[in-house]
Amino acid sequence: MTVLKTEQLTKQFGGLTAVDEVDMAIEQGEGVSLIGPNGAGKSTFINLVTRRLEPSYGEIAFQGDSIIGMDPHEVVQRGMSKSFQTASIFPELTVKENATIAALAAEHGSFRFNFFRNQNSYPAVDELANEVLESVGLYGERENEAASLDYGNKRRLELGIALAAEPDMLLMDEPTAGMSPDETKSTVKLIKRVKEELDLTFLLVEHDMEIVFDISDRIVVLNRGSVIAEGTPAEVQNDPAVQEAYLGGVEE
Amino acid sequence: MSDEPRDATATAAADADTEVTGGFADRWASFRDREISTVLLTVVGVAVFPFLFNNYLDGYTQLATLMLIYGIFAVGFDILLGYTGLLSFGHAVFFGGAAYAAGIFSASVSSSPLLVLLAGTVFAVLLAWIVGFLSLRRGGIYFAILTLTFGQMSFYLAASPLAFLTNGENGFTSVDIGSLLGVIDIHGGVPFPLSMLVDNMLYVFVAVMTVLSVAMANRILHSPYGTVFRAIRENERRAEFVGLDVWRYKLMAFIISAAFAGIAGSLFAIEGNYVPLQSLYWTESGRIVIMTVLGGVGSLFGPLFGAGVYLYIENIVSGFETLGPFWHLILGVVFVVAVVLFPNGIWGGIDYVRDRVVGGDDE
Repeated sequence: MTVLKTEQLTKQFGGLTAVDEVDMAIEQGEGVSLIGPNGAGKSTFINLVTRRLEPSYGEIAFQGDSIIGMDPHEVVQRGMSKSFQTASIFPELTVKENATIAALAAEHGSFRFNFFRNQNSYPAVDELANEVLESVGLYGERENEAASLDYGNKRRLELGIALAAEPDMLLMDEPTAGMSPDETKSTVKLIKRVKEELDLTFLLVEHDMEIVFDISDRIVVLNRGSVIAEGTPAEVQNDPAVQEAYLGGVEE
Repeated sequence: MSDEPRDATATAAADADTEVTGGFADRWASFRDREISTVLLTVVGVAVFPFLFNNYLDGYTQLATLMLIYGIFAVGFDILLGYTGLLSFGHAVFFGGAAYAAGIFSASVSSSPLLVLLAGTVFAVLLAWIVGFLSLRRGGIYFAILTLTFGQMSFYLAASPLAFLTNGENGFTSVDIGSLLGVIDIHGGVPFPLSMLVDNMLYVFVAVMTVLSVAMANRILHSPYGTVFRAIRENERRAEFVGLDVWRYKLMAFIISAAFAGIAGSLFAIEGNYVPLQSLYWTESGRIVIMTVLGGVGSLFGPLFGAGVYLYIENIVSGFETLGPFWHLILGVVFVVAVVLFPNGIWGGIDYVRDRVVGGDDE
């Protein structure tokens, strides 16, 4: 089953075409990486898919239904979650509360009239928050303020928040940016494990080729807004168009 | 923050700890976490307040009443400012608007205090729905300016085009408050056991409303809304990307805070038997911001203290012979000192001292 499908998806900023008629389809359970040189349109593509940006034209379908015209939170409620490029957490809340917020949104939907109900009366929310913290290895830190975590753990919490939404598909924007080699290694391990355990479909934007080749089933290469190649890691690695784009046409 | 709502496990863990260790700090923490204890503390507070205030601080019961009224206003305002992180500069429109609605209702529909209170509050809620719907389209400074604009619009509307309803610049003088439940004279004295603590029924009425308001605010802050509001304050974009309808929650925070402003405004009309046009003016919106920040944003009880200190300086210190004429300056100095020393206001300062004494029960 196709989880995400874009057709002719295009975004123009004035005269610049950042994303140029991109057709992409991601199947259930697939791990896809989106790569390309700087300015290739990767982030714009992610922002279009999460509904942060309005496309100039084109179609985005998630699980068979068009999501054009929806608000970002509605797309999340349909099962598409996102982890951000920076550690986007709730710094002054505890680690547990960070997870609880995501669990609330997953269990209760986007809005509810329950301001006179004690939060303790929702054990399912509590359970989900605990589960997520355990799966990203932060359960022991749950009472600490999120701001006090080190950078690697903040990013793990970020990922935890995205996972607490119980997504059918997870978009990850450079999940290891700014991490030390050790932190990167453990994050990659975490992503692999989560993918297996939850049969998670993901779309990854990443610069680190080692990671990309390690965890992707399929790679899509963008350059100047268009798809120039796609295939298995091995196919993409040997594609002349990709080498051209990355090496800027320098003769070897 | 020790006085912020805790989540389920924190409370459960605190309870469990109590059984095992039974330390004073733990027992205090678990006592404080229970809803009933918040209400009891408030009851005790408002019961002994006029006695202490009148005997030791040069106070008088009418001012104590006014402090509680503004306290209710500030507690609600803090749900918006301290918890959700939205600065409204036009909350006078809900306070003054409710006062006018309550006054007009009392003169032309029913003089029952409870119905008057209900009418004013409902009016504030409906008005907040409209003003919030329009103002919350924009964030940050634009939101503040939009709310300020709505506040000033209501002031000028009440001053002249609607003068046939509001009596214009003279203020609404025909407030007519009957007896409570048909038997209790709300502006009269109190029977014996109560009279040891307080000398008039109006204070008792306002005090009961204060306790109810604090209980409601406490309940809201311990509900999922409390967590969602703080999430919006911390990182609005992330809250949206976990799938929360941030806009509707912000509107709810706005309406909830206006409901408290409505309760306070209605009580203000009942208390004074009069609604001054001033109650809609922008300085009223500014006062509530200062009271809330002075008391401590993001805490339940802080704003009550902020309102008390503000009104104390405005009404009591201003009467001192030598210092009196400089009360505005004194207020400014107190504000600056409190905010510089304790970024979390007076309540933050109390919290700090208490944690030192009790031994840091703050996790």
